[in-house]
Amino acid sequence: MERRTRILRSLGILATIGVIYVTLVFLAPDQYYQLMLTLVAVWAVMGISWNTLSGYSGLISFGHAAFFGLGAYTVVLLQVHWGITPWIGIPLAGCVGALAGLLIGLPSFRLRGHYFALAMLAYPLALLYIFEWLGYNEVAIPMERTNPVAYMQFGDMRIYALLAFVLLSLAVIVGVLIESSRFGLSLLAIKQNELAAEAAGIRTLRWKLYAISTSGAIAGVIGGFYAVILLVVTPPTVFGMLTSAQALIVTLFGGISTVWGPVLGAAILIPLSETLHAELGNVLPGIQGVVFGVAIVLVILLAPEGLIWKLRDFAMRGRETDVEDRLSAADVADPGPLPDRPHALTGPVLLQVENLSKSFGGLQAVQDVSFDVPEGSVIGIIGPNGAGKTTLFNLLNGFQAPDRGRVVFDGEDLVGLRPSGICARGIGRTFQVARPFRRLTILRNVLVGAYVSAETDEIALQHAREAIALVGLEGHEDRIASGLTSMEQRLMELARALASKPKMLFLDEILAGLGQTEVNRMIHVIRAISDNGTTILIIEHTMQAMLRLADRFVVLDHGALLASGPPAEVVKDPEVIEAYLGKRWRDRA
Amino acid sequence: MILSENFLQALAAGLMVGCLYGLMCTGLGMIFGIMRVINFAQGDLMMLGMYSTWYMFAGFGFLAFLGTYAGPIAGALLTGPLLFVVGYYMHKFLIVHVTGLRTSDSEGEGHYAQLILTLGIALILQNGGLILFGSEPTSIRTPMSSSAWVIGPLWGDFVEVFINQARAVGAIVSIGVAVALFFFVTRTRLGKALQASADNAEAAIYMGINVDRAHHIAFGIGTGVTAIAGGLVAFYYPFQPYVGIEFVIVMYAGVVLGGFGSIIGAFWGGMIIGLVQQMSTLILPIQLQNTAIFVVFLLVIFLRPQGLFGRNVERV
Amino acid sequence: MTTRRTMLATAAAVAMTLPFGGAAFAQEGDPIQVGLIAPMSGPWARQGELMRLGAELAVKDINEAGGIKALDGRPLELVIFDAGDSAEKAKNAAQRMVSQHPDLVAVTGSWLSSFTLAVSEVTERAELPMLTLSYSDQITDRGFKYIFQMPMTGTNQAKNSLPALMEVAEAATGERPKTTGIIADNTASSESFAQPLRTGEMDDLGLEIKFDETFTPPLSDATSLIQQARSQRPDILMMLATAVPDDKLLLEKVNEFRLGGGRMPIIASGAHIGAPEMVDNVGPELMEGVMSVVGNWGAKGQEEIIDRFKEATGEPWMTQDSIATYGDIQVMAYALEQAGEADRKAVAKAIRSIDLDGEGPAQYYPGQKIKFDEAGHNVAADLVIIQWQDGVPVPIYPENSAVAEPIWPQQ
Repeated sequence: MERRTRILRSLGILATIGVIYVTLVFLAPDQYYQLMLTLVAVWAVMGISWNTLSGYSGLISFGHAAFFGLGAYTVVLLQVHWGITPWIGIPLAGCVGALAGLLIGLPSFRLRGHYFALAMLAYPLALLYIFEWLGYNEVAIPMERTNPVAYMQFGDMRIYALLAFVLLSLAVIVGVLIESSRFGLSLLAIKQNELAAEAAGIRTLRWKLYAISTSGAIAGVIGGFYAVILLVVTPPTVFGMLTSAQALIVTLFGGISTVWGPVLGAAILIPLSETLHAELGNVLPGIQGVVFGVAIVLVILLAPEGLIWKLRDFAMRGRETDVEDRLSAADVADPGPLPDRPHALTGPVLLQVENLSKSFGGLQAVQDVSFDVPEGSVIGIIGPNGAGKTTLFNLLNGFQAPDRGRVVFDGEDLVGLRPSGICARGIGRTFQVARPFRRLTILRNVLVGAYVSAETDEIALQHAREAIALVGLEGHEDRIASGLTSMEQRLMELARALASKPKMLFLDEILAGLGQTEVNRMIHVIRAISDNGTTILIIEHTMQAMLRLADRFVVLDHGALLASGPPAEVVKDPEVIEAYLGKRWRDRA
Repeated sequence: MILSENFLQALAAGLMVGCLYGLMCTGLGMIFGIMRVINFAQGDLMMLGMYSTWYMFAGFGFLAFLGTYAGPIAGALLTGPLLFVVGYYMHKFLIVHVTGLRTSDSEGEGHYAQLILTLGIALILQNGGLILFGSEPTSIRTPMSSSAWVIGPLWGDFVEVFINQARAVGAIVSIGVAVALFFFVTRTRLGKALQASADNAEAAIYMGINVDRAHHIAFGIGTGVTAIAGGLVAFYYPFQPYVGIEFVIVMYAGVVLGGFGSIIGAFWGGMIIGLVQQMSTLILPIQLQNTAIFVVFLLVIFLRPQGLFGRNVERV
Repeated sequence: MTTRRTMLATAAAVAMTLPFGGAAFAQEGDPIQVGLIAPMSGPWARQGELMRLGAELAVKDINEAGGIKALDGRPLELVIFDAGDSAEKAKNAAQRMVSQHPDLVAVTGSWLSSFTLAVSEVTERAELPMLTLSYSDQITDRGFKYIFQMPMTGTNQAKNSLPALMEVAEAATGERPKTTGIIADNTASSESFAQPLRTGEMDDLGLEIKFDETFTPPLSDATSLIQQARSQRPDILMMLATAVPDDKLLLEKVNEFRLGGGRMPIIASGAHIGAPEMVDNVGPELMEGVMSVVGNWGAKGQEEIIDRFKEATGEPWMTQDSIATYGDIQVMAYALEQAGEADRKAVAKAIRSIDLDGEGPAQYYPGQKIKFDEAGHNVAADLVIIQWQDGVPVPIYPENSAVAEPIWPQQ
């Protein structure tokens, strides 16, 4: 439902742009300006292609010219060698692009960050030299005299401009569909934190391969079309650095991670640079590149997410900070003491930790820790700084492998499973540093989590709404994450973890940095989650709030289990007091 | 006989070009290897080094009085301080916004801002260079570039190896500069401070080092050293404003091959790339010479991203 | 028509407009636009400049002689477009040219065959007649109707010149060369020239190809190319580059590897190797004896125009680029006279029916004949072989063009 409104709204914007575009095409004084409009559409499509991979997934590609160039050569070589018309050649160019995406993606996705970007840089440059060596240093589209239309050859430049717009519309629709589906949200989750995404059960490699082949297909199609208007295809034109750079620049300038960003970027930058080149090209031959360079330096320094977001922030400035939208004071007020739960620890054992040990070099980070977590309970793992809490947590999550010991969940040993496997068995988690998708609404943030367990998008939406209601953010679904208070962000994070319907939830220092009333509020929410049937394991440094929340404490010190038992008893344990406060306090106690 | 001569010739060229690439990589090693800043504009800063050498020796010609050997060498060496200043301020006013402590908490975003910002700088330098210098290839004309020292005849009368003077001189100066840099970084107080702040900024702050300034200096040195290499390359290589892109891959390949954080490693990495480039002509057509480098580069990052001489694995 | 032109007046600011004659000659009517689209920037800028000098002199001569008489003495106006340094830029310039200058009646260009191929894809679609001095066979292989290739194609140049050169060698050394090696760039004209050697069409020459290396301009390093020449020692080296910087690198490396000074006779293709700046760039000693096969050159029988050109421009000699472009503008003027209207299609028709022998614009071409076939070949075209002798490239072949005897380089 939400998705349908988004798509309809996007189609409305597209139609408006279409009207403006077509009007401009018919007002353009000569072919040169019609060509310029065609190029705006071409580079907007190229930007959308780049965005599909790099904008959403955060894997920066410097090599989109590879797909573009392969597309262009597919079309021109098919026509030269076999007389195949571009009407068929362009769709085939899309297939070649998609295939190239897969072939490049499979090895390259093992790389991250810098390495991925550098590897991507090498592909088009290697292709450039290979095509020159093959003797394809200039290949012209053969002129068709008998039936030019059948070969996409028109005397009227305006027809090319309109064709370019058709391709742009297709690319925009693909982009909007991606953005509003689990595909787009999964890519965003990868961009935010690939490990966390993997931990949240997202099959990152698969989505990345989908992204690069979709992206490659779009670039291949538009490269093929470009060959038709280019007439003569040369390797530096289609495989050159500027081609890759231009795709990235129109996107970053316009706005990253949104389909409209490249459109806006191309609409501004292409006419600007073309006009400058035409007016000043004789005197200042590189002016086009300088304009692009300055544009992206300014964008990175002043509006790192691109113009469209900056404009949106500006337009939203009045509304976004509306204080009444926020959780009201009453919402966050202390709802009073928690009711006792005498039977909380009587359930069957859900998680069993046995003799877990891990050492780094000579340092024993976790030694011989054992404890049980009964179903339906809230267990607090506490301990002073450096006690080994985080290491223990990472062992339980599958981020690190223990040297010894077992972690049995629901009758199955988790040791040796990857984070995504552990997640798939019904364990959700939150991260100490919350990283929401700032530009998305609460609902869409939570949806990312919901997709893991949900078969269909409808079920995912339902799970997301339930999770939001459980943490008390009902009625706030459509607020943008960047406008949330840190309390609201925590709640959203919690909802995201809940949306995958886990049997058990690991919470990493979820109370850290909250004010007193907020802590009160949060422990009520956690209790509510627990009452709803989810077993909870919390790591916390501070003890006070946990006294009320936890059914049992597991105290660690120097990697070893120091004490375990009901909170009220554990805090009176002299050894625990010593560990937390030093010997002096123990004596006073 | 013919084969052995071709082989020796390619080997000699590879070793000489390798020294020059090694010096280039050493400069990038300071920036990418140690500071982890991905500077896309490194090749274009090198291009500035080439032009500045050319202007000093031929364009404005105030070093021409030193003659055709000492003149270009002095030009290349003086280019170092000049581009040091460029690099220092480029880092101070631009790069610093997307690197270092400010972005250390935002993993993905930090990388990408660096890549894009330096790409923007690269475009400005390339195309600004086109406006300032024109697109015609320029070269530093000395008798060095078209004369050779001949080794041989070996094995009877036929086999002779021609050691191009411009390359040989460039290679020798490269080794000198690389050794000087190595001693500066490992033996001097300032050098150690630079390495400490580049390696682990937080620790360096506790040691009382002005980390921001140290980063500016390290970036400046990296720029200057690569620029010197550019000046030396210009002795035998015609250049134009777009020349940087040809060398960016060479440099990154060398640094990655040599391993992060090691200045000596970066030099050897560059040397290997030089050898690959020259020796590849023995079996591949000349048009695929650069493709050979790209293939080696891809193999290295796929198979051994920590490099051959690396002391640490990429941080996750 | 007039309104269209007013609109264009603003658009014309894009290109350098160089009106010659104009008010000074008090001629009637608007000037007729003819175009020159050639590299004015990049590695081939010098060739473009030499073409411009020729074109400007031609426009000046025509206007001073009273303009186009069939059109009430309307003067010519030369519009120049920069083809830049790549085929793509050349094609973009052509697109701007045809869309913003619809009144052009004919153009000449674009020096490098690759550029001409790209530009003519645009002019053909715009039905704008284009004359060219480029050699590539592909130019007239595409069935185009508005392209006119003035010189002999590269393949024919090779077929017509190499046997003659063999004779020269045999006369000088007493034996025919038996081996050759090819170092060629991958541009269209070099490929055309090398093609008959590569396909075996010229096997009856008895030349064995010892090596055949192709490079992409601009060349960055000639070491491995010349090392081939050194180790294989061909009797003749075919050095088929197109850009002056590449010539320089190759010749310097020849010198470095001690193959210069006649140890290895070098045959090039194209006029770049005879450009005046080769003297400064490479030095007369390195150039001595180097031969090149060209489509046109200021030669015997053209002394009048050569002298006037040298006087007007200060250039030391008149290369192919200047005299061929001078001739092309004269051909356009001649066609305008025949057509009687300033219309591109009428001009194209007039050019197509040209059949000249020794008269009018034909005197600016080797063999002094012009006649086109269907495809746009000048079927009457001849070639010139030039050779560097004492620091000057002089025509040495054929006899009716030669001003000096050929010298076969030998030690």
